[in-house]
Amino acid sequence: MFGSLSFALFPVMIFGIAFMGSFLIPLVQGTLPSGTLTLLIHVSYLMLGIMVGGFGLLGNEVMNHRFGQSSLLTYSARSLPLSEKFIFLNFVIKDTVYYFFLWVFPFGFGYIIASPFIGVPLLSTLYLLLTLTLSFLFGLCSVFFLSVIYVRSRMVLWIILLVLCACTGLFVIMTGKSPVLIFPPILLSNAFTWVNFMISCGILTLLFIIAIMLFNPESVGSEKKYRDSFSPLMQHFSYLPDPPLTAKDILDLYRSKSLIGQTIFSFLLPLIVIWFFLSLLTPVFPPYGLLFIFAVTTGVIASTMYTWVTMFDSFGPYSCLPVAVSTLITGKLTTFAILQVIPAIFIATVAVLSGEVAFLFPAVVLGISISFYAVSVMARLCGLSPNLLVYDVRVLFIYLICIGIVLVIFTTVSFADPYYALSAVILAIPTWILIKRARVKWDSVDPGGF
Amino acid sequence: MRAVIEVKDLSKTYGDVKAVDQVNLQVEEGALFGLLGPNGSGKTTMIKMLTGQTRPTSGLVTVLGIDVIRDPVMVREQVGIIPEQETPPSFLTALEYLKFVAAVRKIPDIKAKSDWWFDFLDFADKKNVLCKDLSRGTRQKLMFTQAFIHEPALALIDEPLINFDPITQNLVKDYLAEYVRKGRTIFISTHILEVAEEICSGFAILHTGKLLHTGSVAELIRRGEHLPDFFLSLVRKVSNV
Repeated sequence: MFGSLSFALFPVMIFGIAFMGSFLIPLVQGTLPSGTLTLLIHVSYLMLGIMVGGFGLLGNEVMNHRFGQSSLLTYSARSLPLSEKFIFLNFVIKDTVYYFFLWVFPFGFGYIIASPFIGVPLLSTLYLLLTLTLSFLFGLCSVFFLSVIYVRSRMVLWIILLVLCACTGLFVIMTGKSPVLIFPPILLSNAFTWVNFMISCGILTLLFIIAIMLFNPESVGSEKKYRDSFSPLMQHFSYLPDPPLTAKDILDLYRSKSLIGQTIFSFLLPLIVIWFFLSLLTPVFPPYGLLFIFAVTTGVIASTMYTWVTMFDSFGPYSCLPVAVSTLITGKLTTFAILQVIPAIFIATVAVLSGEVAFLFPAVVLGISISFYAVSVMARLCGLSPNLLVYDVRVLFIYLICIGIVLVIFTTVSFADPYYALSAVILAIPTWILIKRARVKWDSVDPGGF
Repeated sequence: MRAVIEVKDLSKTYGDVKAVDQVNLQVEEGALFGLLGPNGSGKTTMIKMLTGQTRPTSGLVTVLGIDVIRDPVMVREQVGIIPEQETPPSFLTALEYLKFVAAVRKIPDIKAKSDWWFDFLDFADKKNVLCKDLSRGTRQKLMFTQAFIHEPALALIDEPLINFDPITQNLVKDYLAEYVRKGRTIFISTHILEVAEEICSGFAILHTGKLLHTGSVAELIRRGEHLPDFFLSLVRKVSNV
C-alpha cells in the first residue's frame, strides 16, 4: 500500500495527532462544548468522504494518469473476462479502504488509545470510530452517487439537487432546526441505536449500489470531432506567461468534464456543507466572524484546485518539448490563478446572502490571498505531484505548519476587525518567494523521476 | 564531419541496477545511426539521457555541441524526439496538439506544415479527433509529425516504426533516408535488426547497459556479414562468457 517509509508514516502521524490532541479536549471544552467538537470532527470526515468520492468523474483517461502503471488494470476488460464495471468497483473499494486506513482508522485509534488517560469510556471511543467511519462513507457514497448522475445526465443531477435543497429548506422552516442535526452519524453519536445504525448502513449501501449500476465506462473508439478551440483560447490568453500551456489546461478541464464536475463536487458541495456546520458555531464567533472563517476555509479548499490542473499529466508528455519543469509549474499556477474567479465569486455571493455586503471586499481578499499562499506552499513541497506527495509525512507536516500558522494569524486579525483582513495581501510576498523556490527546486530534480 | 552526439563514460544507475554502464559513443553529422540491443539493454535510457529527459549518474554528454546536463531545454529546442511510450495530451485534437507544439517551439506557418504532414502520413481525417480516441498507429503518426515539423538538425527516435502499418513503414523509411541525405542526422534505437540493416549507416550494440560494438553497416556488408547474424553472435558470445 505504501511505496516508502515516508508514506507509511502518514497514518502514524494521524494517529499521533489524534492521540496528542485528545489530551487537549478538557482544555478546549472550556471554549467549545464537547458536542460542538464532535460535530466538527464529523464534519471533517464528511468533507474527506466528499472530496475523495467523485469516482463518477473518473474516466479511463483520468484513471490512467491517476493510477499510472496500473493503466494495464484499467484496460484489462479488453483482454480478460472482466467487465469494466467490475474493475471500476474494485478501484472504488480499493480507494475506500485506502482512505479508511490512511485517515479514519488512525484518527479513531489514536483517540481510543488516549481514552483511558482522559477519562473517556472505551465504548464511547469505539462509537466515535464507528460514526466517523459512517461520516466518511456518507460523504463518499453521496458524492459518488451524484458524480455518476452528473456524468449520465446533468439535468437529472440538477433536479436531485433542487429536490434536496427544497426538502432541506422545508425541514428548516418547519422545525427551525439545522438540517445537520439529522445527519445520521451525528444522530448516532448523540444516541446510538441499532435501528438508526442499520438504516444508515442501508442508505449507504443503496447509494453505493445505484452508483455502481449507473456508472458509465467511457466509450472506446469514439471519433467525435472537435473544432479547433486551442487557437482562439491561446489568443485569448496571449497576455499570460505561457499561453499554450494555459490553453491546454483549460481544454483538459473542460473536455474531460472535470471543470464543472470538480467545481460542484470538490468545491461547492464541501463548502455548502461546511457553511451549514460552521453556522452552528455562530455563538462562538464575533458578529461577522462566520463570514471570515468561511473565507479562510474557502481559501484552503480553493487551493486544492491546483490538483485539478495537475491531475491530467505529469512532466512526461512534455519531455520531448523544450519545456522545463519550472515552466510547467508556472503554467499550472497560471491556470490555477484563472480558476480563482470561482472562489472569489463564491465568497462574494456568501457575503451578499448572509447580509455582510460591507465586508465583501476584505473577505474576498482574505480568501484569495490564503488560496494563493496555500498553493505556493503546495507547489514548493509537491511540484507537479500534489495528489501523491501530500501523503508523505514530512511534506504534510511542513504543509500543515506553514498553512496553520497563517490561518491562525489572519483569522485572529479578521476577528479583531474585519478590515484588518485586507492585510492578507502581505501574503503575496511569501507566495512569490515560495513559487520562485519551487521553480528552482523542481528544475533540479531528475525529470526522469516524474 | 563534426560529431553531433558525443558521449563520454556515460552511466545511469537506478538503485542497484546499472541501466547504462560507462558508454562512450560518437555520432557524426549526416548519419542515420542505430542503437541496437535486446529488451532491457538500456537503449531507451540512453535516448532519455541524450535528450535531457533523465540525468546521467555520471559521465558527459553533448548534443549539437550543447552540454545536455547543463542545458537540457536548449537541447530539446534543437532536436526532434519521438519517445517510446509517451502519448500526446488526451484532450487535445491531433491538429490542436500540433498547434500546441508549434506555439511551444515558436514554429511559423503551422497550418501549411500540419496540412502537409496530415496528407503525407494519411491521417487528415483524424485531425479533429481527440488524441485519446486515436488508434495507436495514428498517435504514433502524430508523434512522428511533432518530432519533424520544425525540421531539426537531429532527430532522436525510440523505435521509429512501432505501431505503423507496412505502407506507413515504407513512407517513414524513405522519409528518414531522404532526411539524412539533406545533411541532417537521425539517431534511432530499435530492437528490429532488419530495419536497422536496411536504413542505418552506423550502429552501436548495447547489452545489459554496456556498449559491445560500434561500426558501420557498409563495413559489415563488405565483410559479407548481415547485421542480425552479427548482433546475435555477439550478444550470445557475451551472454555465454
